[in-house]
Amino acid sequence: MVKKPKIAIFKFTGCAGCQLELLHLEDIFLDLLELFDINYWVMVKRDNDEKEWDISLVEGGISTPKEIEEIKQIRKKTKFLVAFGDCAIGGCIPSIRNWIPQMEAENQVYPDTSTIHSMKVLGIGEYVKVDAILKGCPPHRETIVELLKSALLKIRPRLKQHPVCVECKFRDNACLITSKKMACMGPVTSAGCGAICPSLGRECEGCFGPMSNPNASALASIFKDIGFSEDDIKRKFRKYAGMSSEFQKEALHEWKK
Amino acid sequence: MKALIIEKNSMNILLERFLEEYRVFGPTKPGSDSTFDEIKSIEQLHLDYISTVLPPKKFFLPPNETLFSFNIKNGKFTTKEIRPDEKILILGIHPCDVHALLKLDKFFSGDFNDLYYQNRRKNSAIIALNCVEPSEHSFCRSLGTGPFLNEGYDILLTDVGTNYLIEIGTSTGKRLVKGLNLTNASEEDFHEKERRLKLMEKKFKKSMNISWLPKIARENLDHDIWFDLGERGGVAGSFPCLSCGSCTFVCPTCYCYEVYDAVDLSLKSGTRNRELDSCQLLEYAEVALGGNFRRDRKDRIHHWMLCKFGAAAGGKNSSCVGCGRCIRVCPSKIDITEVAKALRRG
Repeated sequence: MVKKPKIAIFKFTGCAGCQLELLHLEDIFLDLLELFDINYWVMVKRDNDEKEWDISLVEGGISTPKEIEEIKQIRKKTKFLVAFGDCAIGGCIPSIRNWIPQMEAENQVYPDTSTIHSMKVLGIGEYVKVDAILKGCPPHRETIVELLKSALLKIRPRLKQHPVCVECKFRDNACLITSKKMACMGPVTSAGCGAICPSLGRECEGCFGPMSNPNASALASIFKDIGFSEDDIKRKFRKYAGMSSEFQKEALHEWKK
Repeated sequence: MKALIIEKNSMNILLERFLEEYRVFGPTKPGSDSTFDEIKSIEQLHLDYISTVLPPKKFFLPPNETLFSFNIKNGKFTTKEIRPDEKILILGIHPCDVHALLKLDKFFSGDFNDLYYQNRRKNSAIIALNCVEPSEHSFCRSLGTGPFLNEGYDILLTDVGTNYLIEIGTSTGKRLVKGLNLTNASEEDFHEKERRLKLMEKKFKKSMNISWLPKIARENLDHDIWFDLGERGGVAGSFPCLSCGSCTFVCPTCYCYEVYDAVDLSLKSGTRNRELDSCQLLEYAEVALGGNFRRDRKDRIHHWMLCKFGAAAGGKNSSCVGCGRCIRVCPSKIDITEVAKALRRG
């Protein structure tokens, strides 16, 4: 029997939803444990092994100086580091606060801010080298399994980079932008969810972050054309990936009038 | 072959006959956003539809299908092919979509026989329906693929008022109406069909002249139009392309697909699958070490338009049938007929 790869799971600034998605693998979870040892997972295990790991799945963005030190330590002890979910990739929803002054954000939440040592929320890739990313808020269970299997087989995982529109068309859905004039983020958002929201008549919110090579400025112009205000559009692009280079211009709202 | 008529109110007679032999699929909603779904009773059927989101291509080249399964046991490798053999009948398919199937037939039985596609086609019956009301986006007339049909059907229906005119195209069609006690069509029914064709032809708002277009498009690689479509301002009131690929998935003649293996958690067995792909996606033309033949958006939209103008595979296989789905679905309002016009203007 080949030695099982050791997995560690960490959480920084985020909601723990990505880890929860791992637990939701209930029906195949025991099969996964045949293939991997989970050596570090504070959310689930009492005894955690802090030696080196083959794969680290890191959830959450980095928002304090302490977290910077921790992620650097994890990197040192990890062979293969995965940014697990949108927060670890680019800050995701917590990064909405990056758009207002730090003190203002702190004062809105904490009565006493003297013990808060917080800074802008950014993805772990700002501080350490990342080997793979799992998009999504949270990532879809199938993409998690695909990545882990590919790691064992030593092949490139088949992770989708194309837009939600592809999966939406596969489900025979009429386009929400053209038929319902809804501000759907599908055309710039990475697929992987199976177009869940559009299939239920809800516009895509963009929770898988930017697709490969999105034309964000064109979509912003389309939203404006169907009647959305510039503030609405700005919020759309800030919600899940405002820190990303792909959406930065639209999130900042510097696009052409 | 002789023609028949059936009262619109009695269409259930035909449907019940079809259901004896086939799983029947047809348009299930009125309007332009209809879909082809399974029909089990006549109330579900909406022959008054204008267009569907996905074309009937989905029955013969599904968005995702399993080709075979594989297994390694004691060092021995075995495969098990999955052969589609279900008998299906598509009811109410418009002439443009029938022409598209004829084009796909050519592609999937050209240099290579695609048995998955061919089996599905062999096991299917096509009950076509002539168009008496064009969609605002369609331009089949200018491409000779509609609005009325001359080939590719087992049975052809035409709305001639309170009745459908039934024309038979194949022995399958003949068998399916045999013994149903339908009335023979009269000279007048054919006159009415002719009259409706003439009326219909006047209703088209769009057209596309594709003669020499592939050549024109190829010789104008640096035409402003490709830059406008790719990043800048769009063409004829459109926005720039989003590269979302919707146009290619709703296109009844786009056949590009990707093949991949899915291994299960035993790491010893799995399936080989194929999934529709799109030349509008960045990953489509990606090769080893991150090379990409069409990294720029403008090159991708140029490639697709050229293909639809009839240039793909040496001009043998692709081209457009004028169904108008790509125009309807495009969030950027890109209109292939306007692009063609702009190119002709030079």
